[in-house]
Amino acid sequence: MITKKVILTGNFGVGKTSLFNRFVHNRFDDKYLTTIGVKVNKKVMEINGEGLSILLWDIAGEVTQDKVPVSYFLGAAGIIYVFDLSRPLTYANIGKDLEHLKEMLPDSVIRIVGNKKDLLSAEELEQSLKEFPFDCDITTSAKTGESVEDLFTKLGEALLERV
Amino acid sequence: MSLRNADISGNQPVSLNREPDPAKEQILLSKLREILLKDDRGNIADIQDLISDQEKFSEVVSPIVEFHIETMKRKFPKEYKREVETIIERKIKASQDDLMNVVYPVMGKMVRKYVTMQLATIRENVDKRVSSFFSFKGIFGRLRSVIFGVKESDIALGDLEKAIIEEIYVVQRDSGVLLGHYSPTEMLDRDMVAGMLTAIKSFVEDAFRREQQDLEMIEYGMHKIYIQSFPLYYVSVVLSGPLSEKEKVGLSSRVLDFAEKEMNRFTAKDFEYWDESEISEKLVEHFGED
Repeated sequence: MITKKVILTGNFGVGKTSLFNRFVHNRFDDKYLTTIGVKVNKKVMEINGEGLSILLWDIAGEVTQDKVPVSYFLGAAGIIYVFDLSRPLTYANIGKDLEHLKEMLPDSVIRIVGNKKDLLSAEELEQSLKEFPFDCDITTSAKTGESVEDLFTKLGEALLERV
Repeated sequence: MSLRNADISGNQPVSLNREPDPAKEQILLSKLREILLKDDRGNIADIQDLISDQEKFSEVVSPIVEFHIETMKRKFPKEYKREVETIIERKIKASQDDLMNVVYPVMGKMVRKYVTMQLATIRENVDKRVSSFFSFKGIFGRLRSVIFGVKESDIALGDLEKAIIEEIYVVQRDSGVLLGHYSPTEMLDRDMVAGMLTAIKSFVEDAFRREQQDLEMIEYGMHKIYIQSFPLYYVSVVLSGPLSEKEKVGLSSRVLDFAEKEMNRFTAKDFEYWDESEISEKLVEHFGED
């Protein structure tokens, strides 16, 4: 089976850990995250008849923050950049962050995810996406679980395509 | 100036610009060619004979080729030194990780061997000095060592208790992907353990920012996790029981042996699509008897 490291990153409070918990049921205690700033878990998926094991690293802190060990990002085949659809401040640095990530991991698959769509009405969501300076790959709600599975399936497909 | 001249006899002028006759010209040219190229034709025929006869050809050409090869050999270091150096430098830079992966276990083994030998020599020297230095001070010192000595009891206990290998993980260095494992007992998801172990290792190494230094040991209660890092992966051995320095050196040598015999052939590319059973089987072969 193929195993790939995928990192979850983005500003504080955008719902990375909620996405992580929603996707992965078998989980480690949260204390690891607060102690060393990262929580690792695994999810095995089957995509088009092929097994894929995703080693998901939920990284606390911001991408360009010096306090986050650079080595947490290294070796990642996939990156999930999460922002909060209801708070534009959470994507204020997205350009710089993505540039930094692409520099560190030039061969990885990047997915930009707008989370917390449950907090917005259809009109507000449309407006929020209009204001967002990049192409948002998918909008999710970790709370309701909407599109979370879809996000990982699509990412998994992209990862398998590159093998 | 006119091209027409008067005849000596005073007759009508005669034109010197006669119209050329192509047929005649062609015949003349052929004759001229035959005269001029006669020797060359002969030479060409000789060369053709020479080429078709391999033995003759070899006789003529071999000395020339040999001469050039010799000259090339002689001049090569000077003429192409820079180019070769640049190519090698570029090649080494491009495959630095793979190169280090091959060299690292060998170097590590040599260094360990050297240090162990040096320690053994020092110990021998100390023993010699202690036994020869049988003064009052020496006797007093030994008595004190016998009465309060921790070392002798440590040795005695060390002989009674030995560290036991509980688990071994071979983990890809940056990603934390498990490449192989050895564990006689069932336990928590090993992929997650490998991932968290990598995260802890990265955290410690990054937090102290010591270049070229790796986390080597994690201790918890009676358990220890011994970690030996290589450029592309690291080997992590979970042990229970006390681990003496001597045992640590022995364990390190075994890990280096394993790396040299089983892991050297792999490159970073090989780990892209990985079947961990291969390395797991090799781990059983190398460490199974423990």
